[in-house]
Amino acid sequence: MMTDRFDIYRVPRLQEAALLVGWQGRDIGEIGPGVIDFLVEKLGGEEVAEVNPEPFFSFDGASFIDDIIQVPESKFWACEESNLLLLKSDEPSHAQYDFLNCILDFADKCQVAELYTLNGAPSLVAHTSSRRILTLFNDAQFREKLGAFEELEEMTWEGPPAASSYLLWVARRRGLPGVSLWPEVPFYLAVRSDPAGVLATLSFLDILFGLELQIEELHEQVEEFNARIDRLRQKNRDIDEAIDKLEKGFTLDEKEQVKLTRDIYELL
Amino acid sequence: MGVVIRRELHLENSELICSWPGIGSIGLVAVDALRSRLRARMFGEIEPWEFFEPTKVVAREGMLEKLVFPRSRFYHSVVEDRDLIFFVGEEQPSLGGKLYARGQQAYRMANMVVDVALANGCRRVYTSGACVSLVHHEMKPRVVAVVSSDELGAEMKKHHNVFLMSDIGEGRDEGVITGLNGLLLSVARKKGLEAACLMGEIPDWLSRTPFPYPKASKSVLEAFSSILGIEIDSSFLDSQSEEIDKVVNSIYEKFPRDVREMYDSRKSLAQPGPISREEAEWMKEHIDEFLKSLAEKQDGENDDDDRPV
Repeated sequence: MMTDRFDIYRVPRLQEAALLVGWQGRDIGEIGPGVIDFLVEKLGGEEVAEVNPEPFFSFDGASFIDDIIQVPESKFWACEESNLLLLKSDEPSHAQYDFLNCILDFADKCQVAELYTLNGAPSLVAHTSSRRILTLFNDAQFREKLGAFEELEEMTWEGPPAASSYLLWVARRRGLPGVSLWPEVPFYLAVRSDPAGVLATLSFLDILFGLELQIEELHEQVEEFNARIDRLRQKNRDIDEAIDKLEKGFTLDEKEQVKLTRDIYELL
Repeated sequence: MGVVIRRELHLENSELICSWPGIGSIGLVAVDALRSRLRARMFGEIEPWEFFEPTKVVAREGMLEKLVFPRSRFYHSVVEDRDLIFFVGEEQPSLGGKLYARGQQAYRMANMVVDVALANGCRRVYTSGACVSLVHHEMKPRVVAVVSSDELGAEMKKHHNVFLMSDIGEGRDEGVITGLNGLLLSVARKKGLEAACLMGEIPDWLSRTPFPYPKASKSVLEAFSSILGIEIDSSFLDSQSEEIDKVVNSIYEKFPRDVREMYDSRKSLAQPGPISREEAEWMKEHIDEFLKSLAEKQDGENDDDDRPV
């Protein structure tokens, strides 16, 4: 193992643990970072390691979002009582294969036996709809193991691979079973945090791992968020009509989708 | 990680012919045509993940079926007791999404390719690409060679329509062959192999467009055919050339008159008195300006299409 690629503060005591990975920066609905941040806070996650960014990220300059300088990072937290290892990371700009192996090297060191990646999937659903979680497995037995969960739906898709799909593929080569969880995110909330998507994911993980999470505050966040959109619908007829169509199961054409997304982005 | 050999060949006295994507896909089209016409069989490949990011994921019913990476494959063919190894790369390894190979990864891949050739008794390496020149698009593109020794240069010059770089009359005594086409030659020469890069001419202004240039691929294919002493039917490239010529002519006809007159004077390039560097710079400046205005006009028309009705 190339330990110079990590800063390891402590190797946690985990056994047959699960690694949960959330990508920050471009994640639809900010599902991954939202879930990881919540778990770190509620389960008392301890920061145990960090991947050295130098070989994997461009340092040609500094990017900034909303006036804030962004620094690429890849941090691990351990929740020993819950037997979870958590990773929140930016997606590397190059040497992805080495980077993903680096993650799995540390997971090996921490006795990780299962991999879960968390991402939002843009969908033509309304924000008031219940959210399905689309799944992509790298191991048929693992798919069977989670087959009883009704909220999970198998994904069929071809296209450009996300970092999670690449990580799943690398994990399979190393014999680590894993699944990518893709909760649906209404397309018009794709570029902002979607609390209902985060809630759907956490509810599933809560049952799967028996975490007994206190998620009432998330329910409140969802209600508050929906109320904000309701107020917007009352003020703006176009927004109301578009969302109404989605709620009734109709689809929107491309121009209507762009307009709704732009309106929500500018007015919410 | 590295090279996967699916079929051991144990060749002696073989020759290696390589190609990658580049300007006008000139080398890639020529070498891939040669490979398929000679029914070369795949015998190995370079594992891609060290060099390339995946381009596609295929998922079925919740299962990750596969990731698709750019392929870098070795092929073998025997032509009249002559062992030919082909290496065809779908992409050049490069940092930051550049078209041409560069950096440590590129050097590593070049070494891998040459090492497979050496393990199979290779004595000579050919690469193929584009030579951006002052040729007119109505002229037959020449094949311009850069070689590893004077002896090989003299041998190349014997073939019809093949010229050495220093002979093409544009002050090209020095230069750089970018990407793996050049890097591979350096590595081959360093390891004691003969090496040559055969480049089909493409007009300078067309090198900045996304079109393939089958006319130059045909010249390169004919050169390979002559060098290897084999009959290769290259007529299939004529119909592709005709299609591209229609597009090229439609742009050419819109050139401002003074630019077109200056450009047309290139047709005398095969005669004594080549176009000067200053004239070439003038052409570049004016044609680039013209292409830019054409693109802006096109963008403006597209913007109109996007307006809500």
